[in-house]
Amino acid sequence: MREFEVVSPYARLVRVLLGGWAALVYLFLFAPIILLVLFSFNANKYGTFPFTGWTGHWYGQVFGDYQIKDALYTTLRVAAEVTAISTVVGTAAAFPLVRSRLPFRSAVRIGMTLPIMIPGLLIGVSLLVLLTSTFHLQLSEQTAVIGQSVYTTPFVVLLVAARLQGFDPALERAAADLGAGTVRRLRHVVLPLIMPAIFAGALFAFTLSLDEFIITLFLIGAHNTLPIYIYTQVKFGITPEVNALASLLLAASLILIGVAFTLPILVRRVRRLVRA
Amino acid sequence: MSETATTAPAAVRGRSRLRGLSFLAQYTGFLPALVLFGVFFALPLGLIVAYSFWETIDYNVVHHWTVDNYHYFFSVPTYIHTMWATIWVSVAATAATIGVAFPFTYWLVRYVRRGALQRLLLVLVILPFWTSYLLRVYSWLNILGDGGAINRFLQWTHITDHPLSFFLYDRPAVILVLVYLYFPFAVLTLYASLERFDWDQFKAAMDLGATPRTAIVRILLPQIRPGITTAVIFVFIPILGEYLAPQLVGGARGVMIGNLIVNFFQGAQYTRGAAAALLIAALIVVLLALFRRSLEVEDPYRA
Repeated sequence: MREFEVVSPYARLVRVLLGGWAALVYLFLFAPIILLVLFSFNANKYGTFPFTGWTGHWYGQVFGDYQIKDALYTTLRVAAEVTAISTVVGTAAAFPLVRSRLPFRSAVRIGMTLPIMIPGLLIGVSLLVLLTSTFHLQLSEQTAVIGQSVYTTPFVVLLVAARLQGFDPALERAAADLGAGTVRRLRHVVLPLIMPAIFAGALFAFTLSLDEFIITLFLIGAHNTLPIYIYTQVKFGITPEVNALASLLLAASLILIGVAFTLPILVRRVRRLVRA
Repeated sequence: MSETATTAPAAVRGRSRLRGLSFLAQYTGFLPALVLFGVFFALPLGLIVAYSFWETIDYNVVHHWTVDNYHYFFSVPTYIHTMWATIWVSVAATAATIGVAFPFTYWLVRYVRRGALQRLLLVLVILPFWTSYLLRVYSWLNILGDGGAINRFLQWTHITDHPLSFFLYDRPAVILVLVYLYFPFAVLTLYASLERFDWDQFKAAMDLGATPRTAIVRILLPQIRPGITTAVIFVFIPILGEYLAPQLVGGARGVMIGNLIVNFFQGAQYTRGAAAALLIAALIVVLLALFRRSLEVEDPYRA
């Protein structure tokens, strides 16, 4: 693309300007997050400027707070259930979506991704009405699990379907020619091949559940997940303790997503090494 | 001879039974999803539609078909004002998001060499999307609020004596945070279409005497228009139903329909809330139907 510089005298200027723009964009994206983490180590008890010194005190407070511990356990329980449900339901749905002679395939596909497209607010209030007024259920962790699963399952469907679409059908035909039945083909050929995608989907679902706010707000009733707890605290203003808790939650999601993204690549590399 | 004559039809029959079974087996995978999305997604949305046409009498929902809820919504000036404000904020935030994202993505695709670096830079943009939505809004409170970074900094350097509330609790703050929240969506969709563009066409256009501007307007933009439309849709739709950003940084002047809906439901005014929710849902459905074409262009499963 070097040739453009010869063509236009402004090309270099444009290039520098756009590069500067990109730098500003990265600053815009990461400054709030970096400041949040910085303030969580700030000795200043207002949780903002000026920076008066480093401390791990706020993290100590987070780990000692029984309300936070309670919210953490609720969050993990909900996330585990949501992950189990959306992994099973999503993987099961990905097969017919890719492999059957489905009429209106693209409509079904769009329908399945609709829960991602429409605002979570609508999922939250509509489920609230259904569960409490029609089914007469008490709001609980389980109602929050249902709501979150509606939102996380499409992600698993998309990931697993992409992997199913991607792998060579000849592999399965070869297994069939060698006499493997449906169950054995599934167990020894298909599942090992799509396992990384299923695992990545599970991690995505777990992370999304961990961070989910709006659907949970409507459906969890009197309980607290960590995001709901933070929300109730934020109403009283910023505190360094919430900054510390927020930083921990950020770190947890980033680590999980990092694993979800790199795991399939790692698995492929290891397999190649083993084969070689 | 007779053996083969009897076994052949049996095999055929067996296979056809198998095919019938496999037809069933083909679709059984949908069953759990059908229950999940049918009972807990489609049904509640349908119920909301019904609720919006029912009446609340003494906190009880009565199955009387009426358009009173809509009538009520449009009879209160504040609500109409909020609806226009929502649309205004959504349009402004979407325009700003695309306005920030397009030059950035253009730079990423055209000036960064394709490969590991470009992928890394793209992943860095998407990274915040995978962190908590609540925390991304919250992180701005640290910066914009009365006790936020900007105000503390201004006071610390004695540029002002008391905190300026100008940065927070108004529409500009809401728009800023919305741009922050939906920026990754815009970059991802724009990247998908810019990345496929054949830059040799650019060179050809300029060889034929076009200025870079003409080349962008006449060659590039028409080809990536579906990508831009998709980006607009992906940003505009979630913003329409936004609740948290206006709630935390918007103040009284930043209220959007999402906040109104929540207030209705928290006040047990289910039928009125349902009508307000349906107004947004209807707007979204109309938009999706209008732009269905450009959304279908891309096959999300392409390996």
